[in-house]
This record gives sequence, C-alpha cells and structure tokens, in this order.
Amino acid sequence: MEEKKTLWGEFKKGIIDTNPLLVLMVGLCSSLAVSTRVENCIFMGVAVIFVLTCSNVIIALIRKFIPDQIRIPIFIVVIASFVTIVDLTLKTMPAVYERLGVWIPLIVVNCIILARAEGYASRNEVRYAAMDGLGIGLGYLLVLLVMSVFRELFGTGKIVLFDTTVLDLKTKSAPVILIMFPGAFITYALLSALLQWYQLRRKRFKGGESE
Amino acid sequence: MNEAWRYFLVFFGAALVSNILLIRFIGLCPFFGVSDSLETSLGMSISVIFVMTMASSVSWIAWNLVLEPLGVGEFLYIPAFILIIASLVQFVEMVIKKTSPPLYRAMGIYLPLITTNCAVFAAATESVKPGFFTKLNIAYHYGFLEAVVYSVGIAVGFSLVLIFFAAIRERLKDAPIPKFFRGVPIAFITAALFSLAFMGFAGMFNL
Repeated sequence: MEEKKTLWGEFKKGIIDTNPLLVLMVGLCSSLAVSTRVENCIFMGVAVIFVLTCSNVIIALIRKFIPDQIRIPIFIVVIASFVTIVDLTLKTMPAVYERLGVWIPLIVVNCIILARAEGYASRNEVRYAAMDGLGIGLGYLLVLLVMSVFRELFGTGKIVLFDTTVLDLKTKSAPVILIMFPGAFITYALLSALLQWYQLRRKRFKGGESE
Repeated sequence: MNEAWRYFLVFFGAALVSNILLIRFIGLCPFFGVSDSLETSLGMSISVIFVMTMASSVSWIAWNLVLEPLGVGEFLYIPAFILIIASLVQFVEMVIKKTSPPLYRAMGIYLPLITTNCAVFAAATESVKPGFFTKLNIAYHYGFLEAVVYSVGIAVGFSLVLIFFAAIRERLKDAPIPKFFRGVPIAFITAALFSLAFMGFAGMFNL
C-alpha cells in the first residue's frame, strides 16, 4: 500500500480495512439494535455519517487550540451539539423517531465518533478528517445494511421499505428469532466468522503455509 | 402495591427483565472488550456499579432542580448528562487515587473507559425519563430513591451478565472450535444463547 496520503485513500480505508464495526469493533450497540429493519438502518447510518463528518471537521479545525488535558470534554461537547441537531431534526418525523429515537441520543456515546475524534481528527488536516468521517460512516452504513437485509429478509420473509414491499420470499414460517434479540448476535457472529474465514484463506494463499 | 414491592419490581425489571446488555444492546463495547478474563470483568463491574449509581443520582438532581425548572431539558440534556458523567468520572478517579491506592489499582484503568460506556449515559437518561429506552413503565416519573434503585438494578444486571460471560469465555479458550469461529464469532454465539435465556424473564410480574 502506498505511504502517501490521498483523499481517496483516506475515504476508502474506512469501508474495508478499518471498518468500524467488523475490524475496529466499535459502535456495536446501535448496530445490533437498529438492524431489525432496513429502513431504520438507512436513517441511523445517515445520522452517524452526518455527526461523524461534522464533528471530525470541527475538531480538525480547532485542533491547534485545544489544550491537551481537557481535549476529551471538548470533543464530547462538539459531538453532543451535532447529536442534538440530529435529535431535534428527527423529532419532526414521529414515526421514525418512535422506532429509532432512543438510539439517536446514544450516538453521543457511540465509541466510533469519539475514537475518530481522538485518534484521527485531532491530528490531521481538515480535508483528510472530512474524508475519514465519510469513509468510516459509509463503512458503518454498509455493514448495517448487510445485517438488516439478512435479518429482515429471513426474519420476516420480506423487505418493506417506506411502506412498499421491495422483496417477498412468500414464506409462511420465517424464523422470527432473527429479528429478535438473539438474532442480532447470531447475525453479527456469522458476519465476523465470514470475515475471519476470508482472512485466513487470504493468508494461506499469500504465505503458502499450511496450518 | 406496597412500597418495598414496588422498589423490588423496579430493581428486578432493570436487572433481569430488560437486561441492559442482552435485551437492549446497550454497553456492548466494554462487554466484549473486557470479558475475556474473569479478573478484569470483576474490576469493571465494581467500577460500573459505582459510577452508574453516582451518575444517575447527579443527573436526576440536575434534571429535576436545574434543567426542568428552566425549561431547557429537552435540548440540553445530552450535553449536560455527558458532561456530568465525564467530570464525575474524572473526579472519582482523582479521589480514589488520593485516598485508596489499592482500590485505584483495581479500578483505575476502567474509569476512563466508563466515560464512553453508553450504559452509563442510558442509565442516567432513563432515571429521569423512565421508559425512554424501553416501552416499559412509560409515562411514569421516578422519585429520587426509585431512580437510584433503578440505576443500581441496571448496574447489577450488567455486572451479572459480564461476570457469567467472562467465566464462560475462559472455558471457551480450551474448547475445540472451528478455526474461523474462534475469538469474536464464538463470543457472539454465546451471547446469543445467553440472550435467548434472558428472554425467559420477559413477562414476569407483568413487567
């Protein structure tokens, strides 16, 4: 991989190499809880991308003025303001807020955002920080979509998006467990086993070692 | 319903029926982070019980005496609570460091982690707005003592699951598991079975 930082490279790495959910393992709570429906995931993903990108940009802008000892409280205040914006905006859509509302305030303590503020935005230029926010946010959204498509499709037998049925399996005995609490854990376990299997296989191809 | 029974129900509901980790998926990051050894999960549990109870009490006071009378609760509660938690954690850390070095050695490294533990924030928000994160007990206002009992309940539920889970994970290290399921995936499968068991509490006492 090239050493030189490019905007595209910073954007791309968040999607696969440092995917927040599968590789860094941060921000799990919200992803497991909202992935029961594809629709929820779209709103949640967009909210996270917004908060992450905006707070990354602001923190990168003021990074030279932040005293080191109180940086965490400052990051948190910046993040909390953007979360409040999202929280109040989503309140105008009662149906969405009903299902998702509880997770919106929790974005403020979502480890992804604080981890990116601390680990990336506070020591990089604004444009890289913005691309990093977009990339990591998109990585989050993509994993969320994969999980929710799997859970909604097999848990209820069909995918309903904005009141229209997109896909229907025409089954009468869908395993409801997938959209209940244990289903979230099972889905994530399968996804991460898949990733581990892929990494092991790639390592074997490259190194040629048998073990 | 007499007084003691009501407190018991609040506690029971918070600890088991709507267990914060397995039924509500709040606080999972530290859960999978520290649960690979029994010792660290004990340290984490003690710190969480301590911080969560204090944070909820202070948040309850802040909400009922400052934010709500001034009418700014709705749009200031997020920054207010998170600042309360962050400063409280910092304060507790300093006090423990000065007064009790052994306790600091046991809890010290977990305290900064707790600031971003969503479970603490959720407990603080819930103790002033019951039913905010669940559909239970909705439209009901907790008194101070109830809020404290509620947050202790959440913390006990958290610790209980964390310690059980750590014990299981220690045994899993020697188990013959398919290679690509080792580590994280098997931990999640275990959590799924755990969660299935906890669903059995749902509906007890009409909670």
